[in-house]
Amino acid sequence: MGAAAGSTDFERIFHPRNLAIIGVSKEGIGFGAGICNSLRAIGYSGEIYLVNPKGGTWNGQTLYPSVEDIPGPFDLAIIAVAAPAVPAALEACRLKGAAGASIVSSGFKELGTAEGLALEQEIVAIAKKGIRVIGPNCFGIYCPRSGLTMLPGPDLSRQSGPIAFSSQSGGMAVDFANLGKSLGLKFSKMVSFGNGADLRETELLRYFRQDPETGAVGMYIEGVQDGDAFFHALKTTAAVKPVIVNKGGLSDAGARAVQSHTASMGGSGRIWSSILRQANAVQVQSMTEMADACQAFTLLPGRVYRGISVLGGGGALGVAAADAAETYGLHIPAFHDDLAGRIDALLPKPGSSPGNPVDVANPFVPPKTIKEIMRLSASDPRIDLQIFNSLIHHYKNMARITGRPLKEVTPYLELADDIQAVVAETGKPIVVILFNPKSGMDHLDVVEMFADARRAFVQRGIPVFNTLSDGLRALGHLNAYYERKRS
Amino acid sequence: MSTATAQQLIDTARREGRTTLSEYEAKQLLAAYDIPVTRETLVRQRGELADAVRRIGCPVVLKGCAAHIAHKTEKNLVRVDVRTEDEALKIFDELMAAMAGEADAAVLVQEMISGRRELVVGLTRDPQFGACVMFGLGGIFTEILKDISFRKAPLEMRDALEMMQEIRGRKILKAVRGMPAADTEALARILMQVGAIGLELPSVAEIDLNPVILSGARPVAVDALVVIK
Repeated sequence: MGAAAGSTDFERIFHPRNLAIIGVSKEGIGFGAGICNSLRAIGYSGEIYLVNPKGGTWNGQTLYPSVEDIPGPFDLAIIAVAAPAVPAALEACRLKGAAGASIVSSGFKELGTAEGLALEQEIVAIAKKGIRVIGPNCFGIYCPRSGLTMLPGPDLSRQSGPIAFSSQSGGMAVDFANLGKSLGLKFSKMVSFGNGADLRETELLRYFRQDPETGAVGMYIEGVQDGDAFFHALKTTAAVKPVIVNKGGLSDAGARAVQSHTASMGGSGRIWSSILRQANAVQVQSMTEMADACQAFTLLPGRVYRGISVLGGGGALGVAAADAAETYGLHIPAFHDDLAGRIDALLPKPGSSPGNPVDVANPFVPPKTIKEIMRLSASDPRIDLQIFNSLIHHYKNMARITGRPLKEVTPYLELADDIQAVVAETGKPIVVILFNPKSGMDHLDVVEMFADARRAFVQRGIPVFNTLSDGLRALGHLNAYYERKRS
Repeated sequence: MSTATAQQLIDTARREGRTTLSEYEAKQLLAAYDIPVTRETLVRQRGELADAVRRIGCPVVLKGCAAHIAHKTEKNLVRVDVRTEDEALKIFDELMAAMAGEADAAVLVQEMISGRRELVVGLTRDPQFGACVMFGLGGIFTEILKDISFRKAPLEMRDALEMMQEIRGRKILKAVRGMPAADTEALARILMQVGAIGLELPSVAEIDLNPVILSGARPVAVDALVVIK
């Protein structure tokens, strides 16, 4: 599996001082030119050397005829030449002293042909001589701090943060990077390793474990190369930071010929779930659930939450919350009469209810009042965390009545400031549910306002979930992880 | 425990071209790994039966045993609660007749473990993660409810205790209806030892201990299937 982990210079791979792109075609937009454009757009600040055997220039930049002709050193190469030319390019980069190469070209093991397999074996052999390979058949690395981005990632965020992510699938990686940007998730580094000829899930996990930039690890996994090594890396990593796993392809396809009931019931889906639990990894079923879990793990203090208060409105809020909460080890204790009385004094009449959940009944209750209620709720020692179920979509009606733009009449900024203040004052986190039932073509102003509101909350360190059940599920992951971690 | 004893049992079965151990052999293998099993003796000759029944002590369980018969209950080869030597003789004849044609036919005389709570413990080999141990509800409920959990071997005590808490029917291990709480540490040791078998005996492909009956608080493997490769 390539060079020993200890000798790998991950710093040079993730934060390369200079880059070389091997295979920049002058005609059309090939992968090489595409990735160069992406790197320029995102603002990579190091030198980018371009290689094309024909030489000349591209967009005013020199094209070096070969890797040997590159005038200076580079830490990372991005190789985009046709598969048969990849081994020679890789070897040239190794001789030039590059620490790593990300091979975006396809045409290797994934083809299932003898030729593809042989080419991939050549790559493995060169990697063993001392250059780490990401790929082939991948989108490469995204690292906001260094400005390194994946092939289709010219517009990804430059804000660095605590989430590391690895994925076999490049599409899954870039989708998650985009989803993360729209939700306010911040990444330390993201690796799409495609065929994983050299660097892959287990070694990346070991690296993320000791990477001080990484506070939580997300993984999309189709299969692993070495089950025992993976399990060990997973368990030791989860012992220090949360690891959230979306395992693709869990159906128990291909029944084996077995005689015992144990073997017939131990399909790969069940075994995978057990392995993840045994290692105290967090298993999620989709990338949106992954994003929710990442948000909870990186924005909320790491601990077990038991008692919660729920404040807001909307239909059967109370019943729905109580039922769902129990599933995740959370409960919603009813406030004592004295506290309920003080909250009741602040609520509009009639239709509201001061117990827990607190139903405010009227969506236009001013943030000042909400703030006061949240302060009071937090004074109950049984409450560890508060959930605010926002009803700001109703301000569309206010905009209509007053004839003013929606963003002007909706007090989400004030609300965000107030929530931040209450959290700071009480030491009890608040989670916001921003459910938007008005998301059609006739409500694009609501959609835009929700995006603004989400950003305002997340920038203040307040996690936001689309629905109450999404939020409770994410809290459930947090509880399960920290409960096992401390015991 | 003795890996050598276990390996001998496997080698014998292999030499005879079998893919499973007989229940009697399986129990010896388990006993070699300190897994609590029923006291039992294998009787081939009618004349040895009375003595065997006396040694085990009534009531006993009689099971028809032959290398090629894996699931005895489905073939109606199990008789429980046999209370006298005469009854045992009569059943011995029936069982032997039912197994006519099996060269190694014999009857297993077994202590009767009474207990209403049946569990299952097993071993499978996952292509990716290797030896994995199963725990769940036993008897007929194993297949009907599939209320089971798995852990990769080797199991730590914590893994074993956690996998017991992972099944929906975990309350079966508590004190219920006048029955004492299960000795979960003893159960955990069984799970850990089955994992050890998986790691130390690569020729054991699969194991079913079903049922493992709670005799009071104490778990005992009452039936066992060991598949070899």
